[in-house]
Amino acid sequence: MIRYCTRCVLPDTKPDLFMDAEGVCSACRHYERRKIVNWDKRREELLALLERYRSKDGSNYDCIVPVSGGKDSTYQVIRMLELGMNPLCVTATTDKLSAVGRRNIENIKRLGVDYLEISVNPVMRRRINRLALSQIGDISWPEHVTIFTIPVRVAVQAGVSLLVWGENSQDEYGGPASASENNVLTRRWLEEFGGLLGLRVTDLIGQEGIEQKHLIQYSYPSDEELRRVGVTGLFLGYYLPWDGYQNALIAQAHGFETLPHTVEGSLVNYENLDNHQTGIHDYFKFLKFGFGRASDIASLHVRRGRLSRSDAIKLVQKLDGKFPWTYLDCPLEEILRDLNMDIAEFSSICDRFTNKKLFLRDSRGNLVKDREGNLTKINYDNVSVIEKTPVGSP
Amino acid sequence: MTRVAIVDYGVSNVDSVRRALEECGARPFVVSDGRDLKDAAAIILPGIGSFTEGVRRLQERGLREALSERVLEKKVPFLGICLGMQLIAAAGAEGGGARGLNWLPGTTQRLVPVSPTERIPHVGWNDVVFKPGALLGRGIPSGTDFYFTHSFHFDCKEPAAIAARTPYCGEFVSAVARDNIFGVQFHPEKSQRAGFSVLRNFLTL
Amino acid sequence: MLKIRVMPTLLYKETGLVKGRQFDNTRRVGALMQAIKVYNLRQVDELVFLDIMATLEGRRPDFELVDDFADECFMPLTVGGGIRSVDDVCRLLAVGADKVALNTAAVENTALIREMANRFGSQCIVASLDAKATADGWEVWTHSGTKATGHNVVDMARDLEEAGVGEILLTSIDRDGTMTGYDIGLLRAVSNSVGIPVIASGGAGGYEHMAQALREGGASAVAAASIFHFTQQTPLEAKQYLRGQNFPVRI
Repeated sequence: MIRYCTRCVLPDTKPDLFMDAEGVCSACRHYERRKIVNWDKRREELLALLERYRSKDGSNYDCIVPVSGGKDSTYQVIRMLELGMNPLCVTATTDKLSAVGRRNIENIKRLGVDYLEISVNPVMRRRINRLALSQIGDISWPEHVTIFTIPVRVAVQAGVSLLVWGENSQDEYGGPASASENNVLTRRWLEEFGGLLGLRVTDLIGQEGIEQKHLIQYSYPSDEELRRVGVTGLFLGYYLPWDGYQNALIAQAHGFETLPHTVEGSLVNYENLDNHQTGIHDYFKFLKFGFGRASDIASLHVRRGRLSRSDAIKLVQKLDGKFPWTYLDCPLEEILRDLNMDIAEFSSICDRFTNKKLFLRDSRGNLVKDREGNLTKINYDNVSVIEKTPVGSP
Repeated sequence: MTRVAIVDYGVSNVDSVRRALEECGARPFVVSDGRDLKDAAAIILPGIGSFTEGVRRLQERGLREALSERVLEKKVPFLGICLGMQLIAAAGAEGGGARGLNWLPGTTQRLVPVSPTERIPHVGWNDVVFKPGALLGRGIPSGTDFYFTHSFHFDCKEPAAIAARTPYCGEFVSAVARDNIFGVQFHPEKSQRAGFSVLRNFLTL
Repeated sequence: MLKIRVMPTLLYKETGLVKGRQFDNTRRVGALMQAIKVYNLRQVDELVFLDIMATLEGRRPDFELVDDFADECFMPLTVGGGIRSVDDVCRLLAVGADKVALNTAAVENTALIREMANRFGSQCIVASLDAKATADGWEVWTHSGTKATGHNVVDMARDLEEAGVGEILLTSIDRDGTMTGYDIGLLRAVSNSVGIPVIASGGAGGYEHMAQALREGGASAVAAASIFHFTQQTPLEAKQYLRGQNFPVRI
């Protein structure tokens, strides 16, 4: 049986999540600790840090803000401008940029910033994505690489030391900028915090015609280059109490556009709006760990008292982990066509990576799928709480 | 796509070989009855463990005759892996000296360490030095590592049939080849890219 | 020249992979299939998969699970956890394991080991020994490190070698998960008394620890779970370091 947090709706299959003796997960506990954080002090630390890295004569940027055009990066830029910084915004353009995603990128520019967009070779990128999907079940792995490598490369090339990120999964961590030693974003740091699964892009060389020369933007700068410029970074989410919904409100007030309906597989309409391939990424998370985007978002809102746990359970069951026939209104066939893949091949890759222990199966051990190809989990809440969760209950 | 028969006589992991052949573009099928060998364009005899046991099992399933007929008479390409290669020998050295397929002269012998750091069984990745021109070694740099796991080796007495050697316990024969008969002491199905190259080379026959 | 091997160990509990054994808190680290595929892509030397709860839960190995992921493993695979009979071994080999690792069963029933070695060959049978230091040596523990047996590890290793075991996977319970280095004394004691390969396990925190295990401990291979699993340290880097220390490696 899958065990769920007794406060939010995250399952214990999530990597790096602990459940304590009361069945409360580490993310909920961490959120509790926010009340005792001295946010004023953290804000002062932030201001001091920003002051330290600010350009003394305006001849170069004060910092680099890696942006995607989403609510969080829009918010980050707004804050940086408010705090008197002169940022260079850097976007590692996503694979299949949506129309609303493009408009949100343009919106950030209109906040009043210099903006650099770097797009990798789309022909090779698609081959790499195809490999990543079929070989490690993560279509977004290459993007996760470029999200780090591209802004850091720019930092080295532009001679700008400070990168300002939003949130990171290890909330206790403010980033190396504040450390007196070891504050350079070396390769070691990237491996530990980048979520790269221990894989290197160079491991892909030789497959699908991928050569070293196609991987320039995916290459992390050398430790010497990083030390020479003193490239370092901080996570805003450590210094300011982070809330995605709050970020969305502020971003919207500054022209950020949302979707007219909730995003497929999610609970909300204000995030993950830029890349049509994200639906596949989220779906694979569901297949591997038994929870998707709706679970994540619902849990965030439950922690902040905006949703009751019982409502969250119902919403998650209704929306989570649906087969991604469309994403941001783009049909799956079209998204897959770019990868030279058809739905049959995609389905078999899905099955390959599905953790069969988490889903209902028939007497022959095969996964039970409904007419739309959706799977059903073995349990949607802790089994001692209720006898069983009827599928499709209101 | 080549129809390759993998002989299942109860002493091996047939699945790994099957998967590897699929990855190499062949059409493998598993055979435990000698009569089914006639459908094969190539035959693979895998196997791990005891020579005596292997011989006994081939015997009781009537595979000895079927294999000899297909391989010696009909000249179907044959690849023996690990125990499968050792069975090509005339006889085994273990107690009793069981009779092998006797397609190549020589017997199987226990590996004997020549230095204190050498341990038996020989487990792990080790160099395979192919004879120049050896079909199985085509395109593979000399000394490439392959995965071994065995305590015995085939002391082949026909020098012309020795296709590769490996430096361990002195040196032993790690591959044999004569006409359509091939044998490798290492596990190509477990030797990743190098192993697949060997399998592909075999499939070109 | 025979190369030293660096082997990632996958510890499986309930539905996924965990970091650190059940000697202490186990922490989820990721999806099994993904890990297998990543290691496949990274061309590691060998993989060890341990179902750490099988014996404690009194159940047999999960053949279906092994069947599923063994299809994706194009490198040598050793499977352990809950193996108690010849039939268990037979089935595991049939679904894709190349070698099997026995812990509790090996210690409790050496005759069974002999039977397995005769049937399947020594090279398939790995004895997994967990040991804790005592005043005058090391004692073997079973049941995922929860039950003391009173056996001396060196004697047990010799008995198992004689019974036909092909390799010994030797884990220091004291060091496991601490990342402070392998127990070199333990390794040396065992590797000096058997002629079969010994695989060091338990305690690796860095590449130099591996070098020590090989150089001073007499190990033929090093296994590690915690440091490899999705952190900045990789099997490839470990081998590059070891090559720099003049060990023969496969890169």
